[in-house]
Amino acid sequence: MATQAAFLGSTLLSPKLDSSLRRSNRLKTRAQVDPSDKSVEIMRKFSEQYARKSGTYFCVDKGVTSVVIKGLADHKDSLGAPLCPCRHYDDKAAEVGQGFWNCPCVPMRERKECHCMLFLTPDNDFAGQEQTITLDEIKEATSKL
Amino acid sequence: MAISSSTASLNLTRPIGSVLPSPKFLAVHSLQHRSSPARFRRLAAVIPRRTVTRIEATKQTFNSFDELLEKSDKPVLVDFYATWCGPCQFMVPVLEEVGEKLKDKVQVVKIDTEKYVNIANKYGIQALPTFIIFKDGKPCDRFEGALTANQLIQRVEEALKVAQ
Repeated sequence: MATQAAFLGSTLLSPKLDSSLRRSNRLKTRAQVDPSDKSVEIMRKFSEQYARKSGTYFCVDKGVTSVVIKGLADHKDSLGAPLCPCRHYDDKAAEVGQGFWNCPCVPMRERKECHCMLFLTPDNDFAGQEQTITLDEIKEATSKL
Repeated sequence: MAISSSTASLNLTRPIGSVLPSPKFLAVHSLQHRSSPARFRRLAAVIPRRTVTRIEATKQTFNSFDELLEKSDKPVLVDFYATWCGPCQFMVPVLEEVGEKLKDKVQVVKIDTEKYVNIANKYGIQALPTFIIFKDGKPCDRFEGALTANQLIQRVEEALKVAQ
C-alpha cells in the first residue's frame, strides 16, 4: 500500500504527462475488477425498461446512472442478483436470499423511492428528461473510476 | 522533479493535485518571451497554468481511524461510500469543493465501506453515502444521501455551531 502511494506521488509531473500516467496508474493500482460487459448490458436494458414502466427518469447527471448500473452488474456477477449498490451490508449473500434490496427493491416497488438516484420521479430536483442510456454513455462516464 | 502529492486519507482516490515548485526566473521568462514558442511550450509544461493546492493527507490503516479522530485538532466530516454507489461518486467533486472552502474548520475523511467493513459496521452504516460529523472524536451529526455543496456547507456549519 505504501508503495502505491509513493508511486502515485512521484509520477505527478506535468499536467500533460499527468493524464497518461494517471491512466496507467489506474490500470496498475485498481483493486476493483469491472463488471462483465454482459451483465452491464442486462442491467442497462433493465434500467431502461423499468424507468419506462414506472414513469421515472434518469438523473440529469448520467454519470450517477452509469455508476449505479455498473454497481448492479457487479453484484449480479458476484452474488447472482443485482443487490442495491448504494447500501452497506453485514452479509451480502444473506441479503440476496432475503430479497428486500434486490433491484428493483421494495421501497422502489412500493413507493418509487430510489436512493441510488437511478429511478427518479419527475418532481425530483435531480430528475432529467431521459429514460434511455447507451452503453457508450456508461463506458465514458465510468472510464475514470 | 518529484512532488510529494498525496491522496485522501483511508482511501486511494484519484490524485487531487499537487503544488509544483515554480522558480521565479522561469515564471518571469515565460511571461515575457512569447516569441520563442518551443521554449515557452517547455516552460508551460513545467509550470501549471492553474495553481492547485496540495491536500495534506496520509494513508492509514484501520487501527488508526480511532486515532485519527482522537488526534484531529478540527472536527472531522466522514464520508462513508462505495465505489459503485452513484450518489457517492456524485459527491466526489462536492467534497473537494467543501473541503477546500471549509479547510480551516473541518477535516474531510472518506472511508470505503467495502475495504473498511469493520468501521462501517461499528457506526451502523446502512444507506450510502452516509456522512457523520465527529467533534472531539464523537459523532455529533449524521445524515444520508447526496447533497449540493451549499447544502453540505450549511449542514456542517450548523453542526459546528451547536454546543461549542
